[in-house]
This record gives sequence, C-alpha cells and structure tokens, in this order.
Amino acid sequence: MAKKQLLLLVSLMLVLGVFLAACTGKDKDGDKGKGEGNIDPGKESGEEKDGELSFPLDVSNKDKAIEDGELTYALVSDDPFEGTLNKVFYSGNPDYEVMKFFDESLFSYDADYLITNDGAATFEISEDNKTIDIKIKDGVKWHDGEPVKASDLLYAYELLGHPDYTGDRYSFMIENVEGMPAYHKGETKEISGIKVSEDDKEISITYKVATPSLLSGIWDSPVPRHYLGDMTIEEIMSSEKIRTKPIGFGPYKVSKVVPGESVLYERYDDYWRGKPALKSLVLKVVSNASILETMKKGEVDIASLPTDQYENAKKLDNAELLGKVDLAYTYIGFKMGKWDAENKVNVMDPNSKLADKRVRQAMWHAIDNETVGKELYHGLRFAATTHFVPVHESFFDAKNPGRPFDPEKAKALLDEAGYVDVDGDGFREDANGKEFVLNFASRPEGDIGEPLAQFYIQNWADVGIKVQLKDGRLVEFNAFYDLLENDDPGVDIYQGGWGVGSDPDPEGIHGRTAAFNFPRWTNDKNDELLAAGTSEKAFDLKYRVDIYKQWQELMIDEVPLAPTLYRYELFGVNKRVVNYSIDQGSDLYLYQMGVSK
Amino acid sequence: MIKFIVRRILVMIPQLLLLSLIIFVVAKAMPGDAVTGAFMGNPDVTPERIEEIKEKFGLNDPWYEQYGRWIGKAVQGDLGMSYAHKQKVTSLLAGRVSNTVLLAFFTLVVTYLIAIPLGIIAGRWTDTWADKAIVTYNYFSFATPIFVFALLMLFLFSFVLGWFPSGGSVDIRITEGSWEYVVSKARHLFLPVMSGALLLTYSTIQYLRNDIIDTKLKDFVKTARAKGVPEGKVYTRHILRNSLLPIAAFLGYEITGLIGGSIFIESIFSYPGLGQLFLQSIGTRDFTVVTALVMISGIAVIIGTMLSDIILSIVDPRIRVE
Amino acid sequence: MVVLNEKELLAQEKVNNPSLMKTIWREIKSDKLALGSLILLAIILTAAYTSPLFIDQLELKKVHLLTTYKSPSAEFWLGTDEGGRDVFSQLLLGTRNSFTIGFSVTLIAGLFGLTYGLIAGYYGGLVDNILMRIVDFLMVLPSLMFIIVFVTIVPKYTIFNFILIMSIFAWFGKARLIRSRGLAERELDYINASKTLGTPSWKIMFFEMFPNLSSLVIVNMTLTLAGNIGLETGLTFLGFGLPSGTSSLGTLIAYAKNPDIVQNKWWVWLPAALLILVMMLCINYVGQAVKRASDARQRLA
Repeated sequence: MAKKQLLLLVSLMLVLGVFLAACTGKDKDGDKGKGEGNIDPGKESGEEKDGELSFPLDVSNKDKAIEDGELTYALVSDDPFEGTLNKVFYSGNPDYEVMKFFDESLFSYDADYLITNDGAATFEISEDNKTIDIKIKDGVKWHDGEPVKASDLLYAYELLGHPDYTGDRYSFMIENVEGMPAYHKGETKEISGIKVSEDDKEISITYKVATPSLLSGIWDSPVPRHYLGDMTIEEIMSSEKIRTKPIGFGPYKVSKVVPGESVLYERYDDYWRGKPALKSLVLKVVSNASILETMKKGEVDIASLPTDQYENAKKLDNAELLGKVDLAYTYIGFKMGKWDAENKVNVMDPNSKLADKRVRQAMWHAIDNETVGKELYHGLRFAATTHFVPVHESFFDAKNPGRPFDPEKAKALLDEAGYVDVDGDGFREDANGKEFVLNFASRPEGDIGEPLAQFYIQNWADVGIKVQLKDGRLVEFNAFYDLLENDDPGVDIYQGGWGVGSDPDPEGIHGRTAAFNFPRWTNDKNDELLAAGTSEKAFDLKYRVDIYKQWQELMIDEVPLAPTLYRYELFGVNKRVVNYSIDQGSDLYLYQMGVSK
Repeated sequence: MIKFIVRRILVMIPQLLLLSLIIFVVAKAMPGDAVTGAFMGNPDVTPERIEEIKEKFGLNDPWYEQYGRWIGKAVQGDLGMSYAHKQKVTSLLAGRVSNTVLLAFFTLVVTYLIAIPLGIIAGRWTDTWADKAIVTYNYFSFATPIFVFALLMLFLFSFVLGWFPSGGSVDIRITEGSWEYVVSKARHLFLPVMSGALLLTYSTIQYLRNDIIDTKLKDFVKTARAKGVPEGKVYTRHILRNSLLPIAAFLGYEITGLIGGSIFIESIFSYPGLGQLFLQSIGTRDFTVVTALVMISGIAVIIGTMLSDIILSIVDPRIRVE
Repeated sequence: MVVLNEKELLAQEKVNNPSLMKTIWREIKSDKLALGSLILLAIILTAAYTSPLFIDQLELKKVHLLTTYKSPSAEFWLGTDEGGRDVFSQLLLGTRNSFTIGFSVTLIAGLFGLTYGLIAGYYGGLVDNILMRIVDFLMVLPSLMFIIVFVTIVPKYTIFNFILIMSIFAWFGKARLIRSRGLAERELDYINASKTLGTPSWKIMFFEMFPNLSSLVIVNMTLTLAGNIGLETGLTFLGFGLPSGTSSLGTLIAYAKNPDIVQNKWWVWLPAALLILVMMLCINYVGQAVKRASDARQRLA
C-alpha cells in the first residue's frame, strides 16, 4: 500500500487535536508499526531495565476466546473522525483506524514491512524487477458476497490516477506505473501498464522504474467496482456508500455508523481466513482527557494512550499496557537556504547563519534529550541517535551513538568555530564578532510544547548560544508550515517531527529536489547515497543496509537537522482481551482477536 | 403582521450578504489553506501536485472571483466542498446540526424551567431566605465561567460518580426508535444541557425578580388588591402577565449566548455538534466550513430576534410592530 | 424662562458628577458585602500588580524538569506545573494579565461605544439612522467565532492585538444603550440652551451630555468587566487567547481538562478557578452597589 511508503509529518495528527490535545503528537501508521521494544513477556509492563522501558507486544491472557464475544475499541481523539471510509479518498489517520476492521489490503506484511504471500493475494516479481503479477486467492469476497476481482484493484488505480481525483495518494508508486501519467492527464482512457486476466483473478502491473520501494510501497487496496463503479468521483466522495454503508472484505462488516462518533461492526461469517472470534465490535471516539477513566470503568477494551497519562495508566488494574517504538522521531531543523521554485531545487546559502556545521553539531550536543524523555515524557520518549528510527531494524545503525548530550564538547566546537563571547554578555558572538541570535519556531503540543521549547532554549543558553522563540511564542500548526515552506527569514531553527513510513528511503525529506527538505540543505555525497539506496542494486538488502549506514554517518557529521527523540506508542488493553498483538511480525490476525469473558 | 415578517426578511438579505462577504474574506485570510495543510510534509505529493489540486479547487483565483462563485452557489443552497471532510458542506452540516439544535433547544427549555419559577419566587417573597438563596445562586452563576463549570460537571458526574457518559451523543449498540434509544440520547445530553442551563439562568432570574418587585408597587396592582382580589390571583392575573412577556424578547439574545456557549460545551463533552466542528475546521483551515458555520449562526441570531418580535406582538397587541 | 449661561451650566454638571461618586461610595460603605468585595478585590489586584517587583519573570519562564508537578510546599506555595514552574507566581502574573486585558477591553470598547452612541443620540435623525443600522448589523455577528478567526489571522500576535480584537466585538451593546439615553437627553432644555449659545457639538456631547449619562456608563462597564475577564480566560482555555508562555488564569484552568490533574494535582488549576470566581463575585457585588447608587429607588443608604 502506498500509504506505508509515505513519510508523514507527525504533526498531521496534531492538526486533528490541535486545540485540546492533551496528548503528544502521534502518527500511527495503522497496525503496521513494528515493536522494537525489548520483548520480555515474563515481566510486568513498563518495567525499567537499565533505565529503559520495556513493554510486551502481546496480551498476556492466554485463555480461549468465548463464542460471540463483544468488544469496544477506543479511537482516542479530541475530534470526531471525518468518516471518509475508503482507502482512496480518506485523509486522516482516524478514518484509517475505522477502516482497518472492515477493509483489508490484498497483501500481508512481514516484520520488515515487506509484502508476503500470506495475505488475500500472492505475487511474483519479474526478472527485471519492473513487473509484479498479483493473483487473488479464491474465496476472498466482499461483504455483499461478490468475489474480490482483479479489476477491483485496477479500479483503485483508475480512481487514484483520474484527472478529477483530488486526494493525496497520487504518489510516486502510482505515477511510476507505465502509462499512468498519460491517463492522469486525461490523454488515454486506459492505463497501459496494468493488465487484468480473463478470469478476473490475476493482474499484472508494470513500472517505468524498478525500485525496491515496490516491496513496501505498492498500492494493494482494491475498491469494489460493482458497488461504486456507476458514480463519478465527486458523487462517490459524498456518497453514503463510503460514509455510512461502506463495504470491504475484512473480518467485520459495518452495521451502523453514528457519523464522527462511533461505528458498530458485525462478524463477517464468510471472511476468507475463517470465522472471526467476536460477534460484534464497537469503535468509539474517546477524548484524550476521558480515555483513562473509561478504560478504568471497563467501557473500552483497547485504546492507544496519551503519553501524559502514562503514570496513571500504570495503575490500571483491569488492563495491561502494550507498547512499541513508533515509526516517528522529532528533531531540530536548521534553516540554511531557499527553495528555488522555478527549478524545483533546494539552494543552500553558504552565508546563512548556520552554514558552519560545527555550530550545528554543537547545538545537537548541547540539548539534554535524555532528561526531556525521562521527565517530560516519563520515559516514553528517549534520545534519538541517528536519522533513522530503530524500527527499521536492518537499516538503523544501533552502534552509532549520534551526538549525545555533552555541553563541554559543544563549547569546544563553538570555540573552534570562532564563536566566542566578545562583549561579555554571557552569549557568544559569531565568527566575525557580530551578535549571534537564533529565532526558534516551535509548535504547541498539549501541555508539553511550551516547557519543552523553553528547556531547549535554556540548554543552548548554557553553552552560550542565544536562542529566542519566533515572535516570543509558539507557532500554531498551519502558520508553522507556512513559515517553513516559504523559507521565512525570521526562522533560523525549528522543532519538527516526522512520521516515517515503512519504506526507509529518506529522499522525500532530505533530497536535493525534495520540497519538504525544509532545512534546504544539499550535499553531493547525500545525492549519491540516496540514489544508490533506491537503485536496482538495492534490491540486495546487504548493499542497501551498507549504503544507509554510510548515509547515517554523513548526516551525523553534517547535521542538517538534529534528531531529538524516538518515542513509544502505548496501548491499554483490558485483561479480558485475548489473541491480540501490536507486533508487526506477529502471526496473530485481527479476526482472531476475542475476549475471554 | 405578514407585511412585517416580509419586511424583516427583506432586511435580512443584505445583512446576510454583507455577513457572507466579511466572513469569506476573513476566513480566506487565515494563514495556510486546507489543501497545503493536508499535504504538508507528505513527500510523495510533489509541489506541482498540490498546485494542481489547488487549481482544481479554484484556490488560486483572486478572492472576489472565489467569492462570486461561492455566493452564486450558496444562494442555490450549495455551500461548496469541505476539503478536510471530502464532502459537500451541506451534507456535512446536516449530520451535525441536529445534535446542536437538540442541545440548544433543551438548554433553553431547562433554562426557562429553572429560571422562571426561581425568578417568581424571589420576586414575590423578597428578602425571605428563599430569595436570598436564589440571589446568591444567581451571583454564582454570573461569576462562574462556563468552561470551568462544564469541566467540573464532567469530572464529578462522569468520572467520579459515573452517572453520565463523558462523550458522544448516543450509545451505538441501541437500536434507533426504541425507548432505550431516547433514554440513551437523554443521558448523553444531560451534562452538556445542565452545564449550559444552570449558568444561563442568570439574566432571566435577575430580570424577573426586579420586574416583579417593580410591578408589585404599581397602581393597577394596588387597585386589584384593594378590590379584594386574592394575593395568588394578583400574581397570576396581573403581575406575571406583565413580567413574563418581555422574556420572549430576550430569546434572540439567548440564542447568541447559546452559540458561544456551545463551542465550549461541545468541545469539553466531545459532543459532535457545530461548535466542535467549528473549532476543528479552524484548525484544518477548512474555510468553506468555517464560512458556512458563521453564516448559520448569523441566521440563527437574526431569526431569533425576529421570533422575539413576533411573539411579543402576538402576546401583547399593545406593542405595535413598527 | 430662566436664563443660564454656559459657565453656570457647566458648574452645575460638575456638582452633579462628584455627587455621583459620593453616592456610590456611600452605597458601598453601607453594604458590608460590597465593601468587603471592594477591599478583597483591592488586595488581590495590589498583589497582582506589584508582583513583578518580587517575581523574576525571566526566571519564571525557565523550566525545571526535575521539579515538575510538585505539591505545595514552603518553597512553592502552590506547587509547580508541567514545566516545574511556580504556580503561585504564575497565578499572580496571570491575574494581572487577565485583569489588564479585561479592563482594557472594557475601557476601549466603553469609550468607543460611548462616543458612537453619543454621536447617534446627539444628532438623531439620519445620522442616528445610519449609525444604528450599522450596529444592528454588527449585533448579528457571532462574535466569539469572529474573535477566534481573527486571532488565527493576526501574524504578529501580542497581548495588545488580542485586546484590540476583543474590543472590536465588545462595543455594540454599549453604543445602543448610550444612544437611547442620549436621544432622550437631547430633547432637554440645557442642551438646547447650549446649542443656541453656539457651543461646539463635541463640547456639548462630552461635557454636557456625558456627565448626565455617566452613571449608566459606570454601571454597564463594571458589569461587563467581569464578562470580559471571563471571555479572555475562556479563549485562552480554547487556545485562542494569550500566546502560550504568557501566564494567564485560562492556561492554568486548562490543565483541568486532564482528570488526573483535577483529582491529584489540584494545586495547578483550583486556585486559578477559585480566584476567577472570587474576582467575578467581587466585581459583581461592587457593580450591584454602583447600580443601586445610580438608581435612587433602590438605594440602601
């Protein structure tokens, strides 16, 4: 699915809860997260080990699921879900949460987020790595009894590439399909790169460029043509058929929707993997403020918990905590140039305030992320070391310590760069003896955003760098990205966050031609490594791992942005829940989830 | 009377046009837009793609062109597309408006149910312990900010005592149309309604009390008493008739207060109505929705004031409709 | 017909004015509740406005991650918040900010509404008609929504901007009130006399009409002051008020969204909530006394 390939800003979630968010920003990539957390099933949840937390990934209740159980799943959000229940058209993560119970993608994914043959379809990739043949298994049926057809997948591509489509999923892996650009411009009626077999069970998709992103980034969610096919795109978007009466081929079917508020699902008896364990399931929106209390009362069985309630979540006696490291990290970005809109390329300014990489290195050394993680986030976040997340187990360079908190080293680096305090005001001047003041843009984040920004500013002051909040306050989400996108000269450094997808390729945020490379940092070595990482050669995992290791070293030396924190995602699960796991590599499937009483 | 209503409606039209123009321009001036906001930081979406979509939505045209297009459709009942919700604003609002109307209606009803008896008691038996208690309650309801009160109600009755749900508008497992369904709706409405109503009583009680105290001393009341009309009848026949009337005139203003209050109440009780939608749409820069919501509130206030005038002229023929 | 010259007229007004202040004072003195409220309010405000003398505001902004959410102690009288900052100091500064905003808004909106209403009332006729149609229209605006939208638009957002935005939507009612009294006033002899004497209109409005309306203005402003303080804290609570990092009672109360803090960390939000309540009650009691003073029938003293 293309969705996983995306690198989404963590903050996209924040926009949903931007007013009342008592929680910390989270970008859950659905159920595709991968737990790196030290798996230690015998121990109590949240136990400290060498100062680091560890959480189980599976529920401890090993009883048998009762027949016809009922379960309530909380969608923790301060806003109603939007209710566009279709993979092609939805926009917010809350809608994805609603869909995952009734709609599936064709493939299953392994612990490395690569497609496998265990799902509703099998695949084969051609010699030249450019064509994938997909075969849908027998017995895979939509909730209305129609079989899932190859042409349903084709239909998804037709919608995504349609000139009238205004969603954000017309992405690289869609555009890369042979004949797609012509279709997208409305020049052709058919997509030349996609072929459907006679019996409508097999489909082959040919790409213009071979890339390993195929294995994690292919779009594999079919759309029921027989159900929606007679409508225009605009009609579909407003149709009840994707809002209150959607169908899928997942284990549960939608029986009732109270818009924005809750969804009632019923067991889908003809589910292709087998009969689902629960008779019915309710998903309801619960606010960050209320989630713990509702959990305590047993009103909800499963919920993702906001970080700031962790201390009390530990005290729940009817529920246990599961946790895993999230596909996201926060960072401090350094503005060093401009986006050249005409040539669509980032241009670095050698005279920018932060052009000297020793200053950037020093600023990373100066901030005490360990304390932030421990005190502000109760250990649920911990100091980041590289520009990859630990979840990308193979690619993450665990041996590289990054730039740990070391104020002395920071001072030394600044001295070396010639940034010394000339006028004796306690702050360093720049190499030319001129006043050196950095403007810092940071967003609100529940109760934490403001103290966090202040803390970093104090950290930098401690090594003699004067940093002040842009306009003396935090910058609200939309205005924040306006500033970054337009390279506002009033911003020198900023605090941002990425939700990284399952495809490790960092090109989209660090590439020379990436519009979202907000630091506007460019580097020849970087171009070279990024290109190598997605070349055909990179289908070889070892080669790719090595390339990305080199890249992480380069980034830690250059520091266009300084990673600050990795984060745990925390789930509260009632002790009556069985067969539930948040482990990406788990062989437990959603339809097996049940309750023991 | 009909002439009056027609005239009021005719006056309404330029008012609404002006309101729409102002809010459209102002909402457009918010930094960022729904498209860029939704795609920001998604590296798979190229800047060209964002431009393409903005073009499709007509977001790059000058504001007056956009406004012209929008108002042209609006008069036909089409308020445009919500980008964040990917659906017609009208159908989006249709799903939410009933919740807010229900909330507002019951808040008003409960407000009057509490305020009118209390106001009468305080006015009739001035300076008794009951009057003092009511006046004290009134001072407190004036002094307590609605959000503080709502938070405490939520905490006490939902979290601590567990008597009422902490969010939502109905329990989904209950079939529509059944008695349980009504009960479930009522239970979900109870806290939001009470939080609003217990504070909104302020002006009505205050007014009623003062007015009754004034009327008590008026000549026609004295005459009635002198004629030997029993005290109870003096109140029902003479005093209340005069004092209750103007309450109808406050209706329009109460509606203004309700709209403001609903923003707080709905966001605190996670109640999916228009107030909550407003805050959400401000955050996502969904300006078509923001514009529509402000328009609706404006219309509600205008209709409210009009209703007040009509009610007044029906109940009291002495009040001439100008 | 009694002939009065302008000077005599003015002198008469001046006598009128202090007597109002005296009446108010007499009224407050005779009402123990109002007197107590006034004293309490004075104490709170004195503490709040002198607090910058003994609170280092830069130091207060600093976060101390090792002392977050400490309960009240000798060092932190009212404990600490999420950033390990002293709640008591924030409470004082917050009160100062909230009151300053409420007061400024009341004053700006009051002055503007007064001028607007006086002009409409003094001239009457067409001027009045046009001005009042404008007010009629503005009264329809859902002001809370507009304030929220405006707050998101303003690029360089400061306390001053916030005050202005709030003031824009706070004067309509006052203008209407003043105008209706002004209309009645302009028919009175002393205005006509002044007009005949050729006194400039603005002088008549502000030095002759205004003093006679002052009791009305003072009553109205006292009562809206409480409302404006409530509105400021409410907006801050929703996230559309004071910029974060600026102490406000609304920010402290917003902590109460988290049930854990309501129950176990009461020192963060409860004092702020109580302080608002007490301030509003005090203002209201004083306001009621002022109101009585302006209305001879209701006076206690």
